[in-house]
Amino acid sequence: MPVFDHEGHAIYYELHGRERDPVITIVNGLSMRTGHWAPYFELLPARGCRVLTYDMVGQGASSKPILGADFDDQAEMLAALHVHLGIDFPYVLGISFGGVVALKYAISHPERIAGLIPVSTFSELDPQLEGHAQNLYQGLARVGFEFYLDLLMPLNFSNAYLASNRELTRIIKRVGASTNELYGIQNLMESLADFRSITPELATIRCPTLILHAEFDCLTPRHLHDIMRQHISTSRLVLVPRVCHAFTLEIPELTSRVLGDFVRSVESGEWQGDQSVWIAAEDPGAEPLLTRCEQDHLRAIPLPRDTGNAAAASVRASRAGRGSKAASGKTTPRRKAPRKVPPKG
Amino acid sequence: MSQSPEPAQRRVKRHFRNGPPDAEDQTRIALFLQSVKGLNASVLAKLEWQPMDWMPYRWLHSQYYREMELSTLVGRATQWSTQPLIYMEAAQISVDLWGRTQAARYLPGFFEVDKRFYSYLALSHAFMSVIRLLPVLPPSMDLETDPFLSALKAIEEENGRQIQTQIRLLKELDAGLSRQRREGIVEDQRQCVEGCFAQFLETLGQPPGATLEGVDD
Repeated sequence: MPVFDHEGHAIYYELHGRERDPVITIVNGLSMRTGHWAPYFELLPARGCRVLTYDMVGQGASSKPILGADFDDQAEMLAALHVHLGIDFPYVLGISFGGVVALKYAISHPERIAGLIPVSTFSELDPQLEGHAQNLYQGLARVGFEFYLDLLMPLNFSNAYLASNRELTRIIKRVGASTNELYGIQNLMESLADFRSITPELATIRCPTLILHAEFDCLTPRHLHDIMRQHISTSRLVLVPRVCHAFTLEIPELTSRVLGDFVRSVESGEWQGDQSVWIAAEDPGAEPLLTRCEQDHLRAIPLPRDTGNAAAASVRASRAGRGSKAASGKTTPRRKAPRKVPPKG
Repeated sequence: MSQSPEPAQRRVKRHFRNGPPDAEDQTRIALFLQSVKGLNASVLAKLEWQPMDWMPYRWLHSQYYREMELSTLVGRATQWSTQPLIYMEAAQISVDLWGRTQAARYLPGFFEVDKRFYSYLALSHAFMSVIRLLPVLPPSMDLETDPFLSALKAIEEENGRQIQTQIRLLKELDAGLSRQRREGIVEDQRQCVEGCFAQFLETLGQPPGATLEGVDD
């Protein structure tokens, strides 16, 4: 079992693929472990990428110090792991909790990163995410690990996946409850209690950055990804259709295609980090895979961007009008009442 | 360096692929869990005489009752074996548990927030985090319908909740110890309990008395 001993902590890792290929380092989500990435051990090498996965301290087969480690500690441990393995310019992918570690890594080690891939993650907490985090923590601490997983399942997976994998998800829960140390996960969650926004620091990130967000990710909502897009000048945001927070587990073929294309475009010098927004096709073999998002990507209602903006502009104008009418004495005409539809029957 | 339970866990995992614990294994498990819970409750009992406004009391007093309740639960759910060698083995393991953990040093006098108390908290944490039976049962095994398995599940769930108290106190209690010293104590206790757990796991699936030394003498 490959283990890196860092200051008394054992860090379990796996490295798959050809030695000379660019490395994608994957940083787990909260209750994940290295084994969750098994499909990528073949998919990414097939796309010309080597893949490094590891269990953060507190997870899976790595040490679980009871006194905990914060996000900065985790980023430093990742840097030490890269040094240990002689990986100079990795592409660092972090999902959810691991996304924050990846962001921290990119901020603190700009000289040791070829590209950044924040997935289903955040640089600051909004009230909804804070609420989710508190619920998950209370669910874990007061009810138990299986309930914590119960809370996560509908946030992580799409309806289609849950419906067709009922037995599998039951087994996933049992395995998760058996293989995770509760206090390890609790310690990781407590990192969130001390978390302070790193949004102001995002502007220092200069490496190519591909931000991935799922269409139905209600745990880490779209606007939190847009904050990253707006603050990282070298970024692009890609929206992944019909999936939820843990889409990397649900659609590894599509995800690995997106990742492989990103690495190839950076390596060939074609990458354009222009803060644009793109939509991935559902078919991993589609050409082109990404199409430019012409709609308002912050809305769940699929309004064309112009219409959306016009509507927003109308609301703004209306509000401004209300503000100014007191001064001007003018009144805003009432909106025409909608026509009533007579009840059927 | 103490014995890691991992090899024994792998063997027991293979053993339980053949079916849920029989009466002999149920008896072994129940006696071991009752020994651990009994040890912890023996220490926790004295907290009931400590002042109510002593901060750790507020955290720990309910654990005393929960430990006794869980010990009773597993006792009621067990199919008890009539094989005497099982009980002799269990007695040996229990004696070793008290000896290895040096639990008797936590019994005299009242607790103060000092190294001894911190060391007990670390031991109690290790009991609840290291001693886990569900991971050696196949994920497909139904834990809801079998009373014994259902009791094991209830115990692990409750341990998970109880452990939060230990974590909070281990993290926040100012016992005048450096972080490095605290981590050292926690690790030592964990290794100690891992050794006890490994010793117990060695008995599962074996002929009764197989691990008793000099039984034929």
